[in-house]
Amino acid sequence: MSIRDIVEGKKQWRAHMARVKALPPDYRIVYKEMQTYLFKVGPLDLPDGPLLPGIVDFFEGGAATGKGVLELIGNDVAAFCDDLIKESPTRADALRESIGGRSNPAEQ
Amino acid sequence: MDDLTEMLKGTLEGCVLEIIDGEETYGYAITRRLNELGFADVVEGTVYTILLRLERNGLVQVTKRASGVGPPRKFYALNDAGREQLARFWAKWQYVSSRIDKLKEGGG
Amino acid sequence: MNFRETVTGSDLTREWKAFEARAQTLPDDHRAAWEQIKANLFPYGDFTGRNLTPILDGALGLLEESAADGQSAHEVLGDDIPGFCAALAGGEGTRTFRDRRREQLNRNVARKLSRLGG
Repeated sequence: MSIRDIVEGKKQWRAHMARVKALPPDYRIVYKEMQTYLFKVGPLDLPDGPLLPGIVDFFEGGAATGKGVLELIGNDVAAFCDDLIKESPTRADALRESIGGRSNPAEQ
Repeated sequence: MDDLTEMLKGTLEGCVLEIIDGEETYGYAITRRLNELGFADVVEGTVYTILLRLERNGLVQVTKRASGVGPPRKFYALNDAGREQLARFWAKWQYVSSRIDKLKEGGG
Repeated sequence: MNFRETVTGSDLTREWKAFEARAQTLPDDHRAAWEQIKANLFPYGDFTGRNLTPILDGALGLLEESAADGQSAHEVLGDDIPGFCAALAGGEGTRTFRDRRREQLNRNVARKLSRLGG
């Protein structure tokens, strides 16, 4: 990765977080908790993949209709997150792969 | 009817494909359609995760269009792979429901 | 189980030794399946692994019965040993790290949203 890529990446990340900051408070809180969770269990390409910006797009749309965030995604935020990352390889899968388990159901 | 979540798992994707097959549409409209149909517990977030998967698996054509409120909306239409998937869904559904009916009638 | 055993975990060692002794008497493919089951159940263990003993006992029993009936391990367990183990662990009310993180996420959201006064 070149220095240019890193700088570009940071710029994009800052722009992304600025959009998060502009969300209504309930959306912002839920987004941040989701992000923390997804970084722990989510896909490997999370920082530069399409998932997080997609969530912000979706939240902006929901906020624009005047709905509360839990009205939009339901009370079980973890279930929503798990549905989001279904079928994408996660850190845990990568770890299991590396220790030689054959445990990713998608590959069987 | 309450508490359908577990049972609907695996069939909601088929329902969404069917709705999109009728006409190009967007997440909120799909959710409302499912709610009107009697699946009151389905929230927009659930539909969002399904649409994301359909997109990831190359089953839909996505077009961004300006909307009256908030950011541009993503409109979804089925492509050929999506129509094939929908046909497979109905075939599977037919099979499962006919087997279960048979079981209930005591013929299983 | 007395207090000393709980603290030192010596009861646990004894139980695990008993499992291994039983596993030694199994045919090769059943013993291989046993090794896989242990590896796949490991993530579901709590700090001491104590919660796993009844699950392991049940799984070993299943392997013993199938060996006695002349069924192969594959016939009994199918292709998906991780899935089998997840079902076993789930049935015993064990929680994985992932489950704990899920609960933590929902708790944090509930707490912070309520502070918002929504």
